[in-house]
Amino acid sequence: MIKKFIHQFASPKTYLFQVDRFYHYIFYISLIIYVFSICWGLLFTPEDFVQGNSFRIIYLHVPASFLSQSLYAAMAIASATYLIWRVKLAAYLVIAIAPIGAMTTFIALVSGSIWGIPTWGTWWQWDARITSTLILFIMYLGLISLHNSFSNFEKADKLLSWLVIVGAVNIPIIKKSVDWWSTLHQSASITLTDKPSIDVVMLYPLIGSIIGFFGLVICLVLLSSKNQILIREKNKSWIKDYV
Amino acid sequence: MKILKLELLKLRKKTRSWLGPILVFWLIMIAYPLTVEFLQEKLEIGFFSVLWIAILISMMLAAEDIFTEDFNDGTLEQMMIKSSPFSILVSIKTLTYWMLIGVPISVLSFIFSFGTTENFSLSLMILPLSLISSYIFLNLFVLGNALSLNKGSVLGALITMPLALPVLIVLGKSLTAIQLDINFISFILLLLGCLSIIMVAIPLVVSYIIKAHLE
Amino acid sequence: MFSFVFNSFDEAIYMNGHGIYVWSVLIIVTISLSIFFIIYSSKIKKIKKKLNESN
Repeated sequence: MIKKFIHQFASPKTYLFQVDRFYHYIFYISLIIYVFSICWGLLFTPEDFVQGNSFRIIYLHVPASFLSQSLYAAMAIASATYLIWRVKLAAYLVIAIAPIGAMTTFIALVSGSIWGIPTWGTWWQWDARITSTLILFIMYLGLISLHNSFSNFEKADKLLSWLVIVGAVNIPIIKKSVDWWSTLHQSASITLTDKPSIDVVMLYPLIGSIIGFFGLVICLVLLSSKNQILIREKNKSWIKDYV
Repeated sequence: MKILKLELLKLRKKTRSWLGPILVFWLIMIAYPLTVEFLQEKLEIGFFSVLWIAILISMMLAAEDIFTEDFNDGTLEQMMIKSSPFSILVSIKTLTYWMLIGVPISVLSFIFSFGTTENFSLSLMILPLSLISSYIFLNLFVLGNALSLNKGSVLGALITMPLALPVLIVLGKSLTAIQLDINFISFILLLLGCLSIIMVAIPLVVSYIIKAHLE
Repeated sequence: MFSFVFNSFDEAIYMNGHGIYVWSVLIIVTISLSIFFIIYSSKIKKIKKKLNESN
């Protein structure tokens, strides 16, 4: 049943038409939420008692850091879907997500480094969270270079999917690094199980910025996957009608 | 057992493949003292870091041509057609490389660490650590090489190196545990746990990857 | 909840010396996102144009 469902709704053609239908709504709603939350966070929330105004970087850093790991998890799910059910769209999504994952990880690393200067007194420290995020960034670059090194797309998709699945072991390590090792990086402010360790005045814009950034990144994934579909399916008859 | 003997024989004949990584390890460990001031304390500070990196690099070199020859002359294709599971063959191949390269390197690690620290019990603890870590690294680089089978080993090393870095972190932590005399066994168990997963999962994944290459 | 926490625009920019960090991160995020949106949109346009020409 799952197989039937996936094959019915995951044909590149259906996907492309759905993307065109919903892209603009998602983009404008996410942009409004993101801009609103960032303005709220940067200009309308009180100063942090310990970190001062530099804490406002949280509204830019946390969404990127959250997405950098989530995107890899999404890639792993897409890879498994491709390898198990041979869904072409899943393979397109894997390679479509990789550069965007690299971008969010880059933002997380750079914003974290800049945040480190006023709060820790150093822009870089080889602690568990920062190092594991750097590893994730290198992994994204490795995935992109592996895919680009093959001219046969199908072979590249298969190899990439396997590597993504094997590399997924790093995700729990990154996620839990702040809890497992003594590290400079603070523990997560928001978790699913515990009460947030951040005041609601600061929490609401943070949630808003995460949702907004998430939406914008989804839009990027939609664009990137659309690009992949157009490249891969260019010889199909429906593409000619679509264009 | 028959395959293991055959693989050992094949590898033994390829002297460059097994002796090269061992010599590179040897050279790194000899070159290290030359780069620091000849003071025992200073030498000891960075010694273990250099040791882990040297093992990592040697294993990277060891896995460099593990499949290349068999892939080019069609042996891999023949092996795949055979009835025995291909993943077992990959495991045996990796085991062979580890026996001829990983084990001597681990023994050398013990000798070098004893020579540098003059602490026998500490050096003895380095032996299981280097045995386990060399096997983990070898498996990871075998995966990298399988992925980039006809694209050169550099790409393979680049894409799998990040997976080896958490192991390096654990190795660093376990050494601190040894030096502070705390909870060392738990680190060995953690590495063994990683190894047991890797030993099963990597050959399986590698067999699928090679199949994808040959399709 | 929605009261402006700074006394002036200059203070909001300066943020007690932390403004440089906060605003530079904002610029980096904005530039990164914009570049990716522009690149993908232009790539799609290019492919569509190519496909149209070949039709």
